[in-house]
Amino acid sequence: MRASTLALVLSATTLVVLALLLHAPVQDVLARPAAAGYDVERMVLLYATLPRLAMAVLCGAGLAASGAILQQVLRNPLASPTTLGIEAGARLALTLATLLAPALLGLGRDLVALAGSAASTLLVFALVRGRGSTALAIVLAGLVVAMYCGALATLLTLLRDRVLNSLFIWGSGSLVQQGWDAGLALTARLALTAVPALLLLRPLALLDLADDSARALGLSVPQLRLGAIAIAAALAAFVTSATGVIGFVGLVAPLLARACGVRGFGARLGWSVVFGALLLLLTDATVQLLAGDAAAFVPTGAVTAVLGAPLLLVLLPRLRPTAAPADAGLGTAAGHAPAPARRRAGLALAGLALLGLLAAAVGRTPDGSWILPSPALWPVLAEWRLPRVAAAAAAGALLGVAGFVLQRLTGNAMASPEVLGVGAGAVLGVGAALFLPGALAGLGQGVAAGLGAVGVLAALLAIGQRTRFAPQRVLLAGVALNALIDAIVGVLAATGDPRAMRLLGWMAGSTGAITAGEALQIAAAAVLLLPLAALTHRWLTLLPLGAVPARALGVPLARARLTLLLLAALMTAAATPVLGPLSFVGLMAPHIVLSLGIRQSLPALAAAALAGAAVVATADGLARTIADPIELPTGLVSALVGTPFLMLLLARRRPVSSLQPEGCPA
Amino acid sequence: MHRRRALGASLAMVFWPALAAAGPRVAALDWALAETLLALGHPPIAIVAAMDWNRFVVEPRLPDGVADLGLQPGINFERLAVLAPDLILTSAFTQQLEPALARIAPVERFSIFEPGPVPLAQPRTLMLQLGERLGRRVQARAWLEEAERRLDDWRARLAARPQRPLLLVNFIDARHVRVYGGAGLYQNVLDRLGLVNAWTGPTGYWGYATVGIERLATQADLQLLAFEPLPPDAQATLRRSPLWTQLPFVRAGRVAVLPSVLMFGAMPSALRFARLVTERLGA
Repeated sequence: MRASTLALVLSATTLVVLALLLHAPVQDVLARPAAAGYDVERMVLLYATLPRLAMAVLCGAGLAASGAILQQVLRNPLASPTTLGIEAGARLALTLATLLAPALLGLGRDLVALAGSAASTLLVFALVRGRGSTALAIVLAGLVVAMYCGALATLLTLLRDRVLNSLFIWGSGSLVQQGWDAGLALTARLALTAVPALLLLRPLALLDLADDSARALGLSVPQLRLGAIAIAAALAAFVTSATGVIGFVGLVAPLLARACGVRGFGARLGWSVVFGALLLLLTDATVQLLAGDAAAFVPTGAVTAVLGAPLLLVLLPRLRPTAAPADAGLGTAAGHAPAPARRRAGLALAGLALLGLLAAAVGRTPDGSWILPSPALWPVLAEWRLPRVAAAAAAGALLGVAGFVLQRLTGNAMASPEVLGVGAGAVLGVGAALFLPGALAGLGQGVAAGLGAVGVLAALLAIGQRTRFAPQRVLLAGVALNALIDAIVGVLAATGDPRAMRLLGWMAGSTGAITAGEALQIAAAAVLLLPLAALTHRWLTLLPLGAVPARALGVPLARARLTLLLLAALMTAAATPVLGPLSFVGLMAPHIVLSLGIRQSLPALAAAALAGAAVVATADGLARTIADPIELPTGLVSALVGTPFLMLLLARRRPVSSLQPEGCPA
Repeated sequence: MHRRRALGASLAMVFWPALAAAGPRVAALDWALAETLLALGHPPIAIVAAMDWNRFVVEPRLPDGVADLGLQPGINFERLAVLAPDLILTSAFTQQLEPALARIAPVERFSIFEPGPVPLAQPRTLMLQLGERLGRRVQARAWLEEAERRLDDWRARLAARPQRPLLLVNFIDARHVRVYGGAGLYQNVLDRLGLVNAWTGPTGYWGYATVGIERLATQADLQLLAFEPLPPDAQATLRRSPLWTQLPFVRAGRVAVLPSVLMFGAMPSALRFARLVTERLGA
């Protein structure tokens, strides 16, 4: 489909929905003269409906522009304001302000959110400083920062759910307006940002060439990148602070432009803005039409993903692979590490394991003092603590290896079970069991989670089949599925239903109630699946070399990819009921291993299992004790424990590699 | 199981001597159950989210020494096992924890709220049931009689002068409110006091709906009551919004603030809400 055709289709649909939405109130208001008093229809049309539609256009355009710039400058189709941590930073700032300094909110929610996004973006820059700001390094740092802010904000929200109810709505992106103030303010800010954006149009277009060629043309690539990212971050921050998180538009609108085969950055930016505005307007008009007076309040930001994700899935096969970042390969180097390095890596892993054991041992008494296990406590420990520690460690090992397999398989350092959406599928299963009456309600949460994970897996396989399991596309499909499922959970949470709180609690990954039987099950899954993964080590060594070399070396591509995908999905499905989908251990463990210099598949796989288990065991101990008497959810604490570590590694390491791109014709 | 409990009790004695006194030691996993226990004069030994009690439930006051089990999604099972209660009370809200709780002590579930033709029927039944279960039947009846007497009194005082329809809201932010009605506890109290709710829209199973403020213009002449806590930046934003400032009840200054009341509460919360409303309406 050409860009103009798609725009026409979208516009026509939008017009129909707008006509349906507006004809009755407009006729009403026109039919009678301005009456004295509060004419409800008139007030709602003038100060709620119309400004809201205008806001939808503004936000869609702003986020799409931000996403288009980010994707251009980072040369990564997964880049978006969400990926860079801009929205998560804003959300965390609002959460913190609400808890610690409510007076700040009185000064202006906008300012607080803006400061948060600026801080998270600056942190991303700081993490990649001095390393040439390579595209992949920035995206990876952005993901880590987003992960950290998101985990912290979610944790605080869970701890103070009653106070922070508002953030659920804000978090899901509500366009509801009560006047023209916010729209006018946002217009001014976007217009101000558009000036430098237009000035950078030409230099940015030159980035379509490789870095080296662009440099040869006299461009300072790192400076250009930083400037462009600052502009994109400002665009997204302005929108986010005005309405909340509507991240999916920033990802999908530029992808639509790309999928339509639009060439040249200027044209792509233009079409992205058009698609973004239309997409959000259409979504919001549909929400207003369907929700009306009768339906419960539905946040548009969440629904955007419901519409956008299927669209992205349909367009996926048409996406042309992006230009490869010019960095070196990851984990492709065979050969042994020098002996001192090996000893250092071994020591580090032993240290991690020790930390996990220590964390599992400590506890708190009802009066708050710290204790180590004693014989008197043994019955309680055997009944309650042992199972949770065992289950958490096994789940951590499974996720660590799943992440390792996925990163080798996709050749993408951002790949992980969390990103792939398998964990989110498990959440959807549990959500269905909670909310749908009848047959599903009777299922246990574990079974429901398993069904959801398998469902996502099946969808991924179906999409993968059409693209011959081309890794980047499977990953993008995972991102789309994730957004879709996140959106549904977001809508549920925004209704304020107590069952939604329960679902959020489950997502956080609480291990407190795990029985010895359940712990045995997950341990059995680990004992079964981890050796299976080890059997594939040859594939894992060869696949990162790229499709053509791997095939030349005798890897049956389609079968190997299918097997590894299935294996990773099974490991995730087994681990998610324990840790929830938010632990990000699957992303962290392989990076810890990489930073220790362990490259060979088999030792790296074992190290990923050990690192995953140790991180989660440590997190479990902290979750149990630091906020006593409150037990924090282990899954979220894992994300909080692992990410600063990951940040440290990122900041210290030489350029993060990117593995090979998929771009090999099959 | 028995041995484990005996051992837990001895541990509890060490850590928490004040609570190891005689009587059935009850852990209440729902605030509505806990407040009913307090009204019956049989305080629980442990509840969830004890640190939030004084902010959201306010009265009856929580006595010192009630152990905090943390928050509902992941309560502190290890702590509860050490405290070793004789009985654990749950509601539909904490139903999913029951299999785990049953590993510590016998679990009994009580229904906090059910929609029905007689206002406050279920909270009243709950108090009688708990009184029966804990050997406090006399206290339960006496408490309820006193409550009815007060409710009758307030109803009469309110009826002495004309009352506008009421809107009961929680501001979620400057753009959204939770508006109460339908089958919730507040609506029951309004019915009992003979007051009219100005919100007639749908409210969902739990008795409230989340809506934009423009939806509050349900009728011209009403009184709005907003529960604390108010979001810090809401008032400033509302003052600039024509949608808010031009609402008839806002222009007429008929907006009042009420202290926090537990929405998912039982009889004590109902009585507290009834008293606060009556006072606020100047009756």
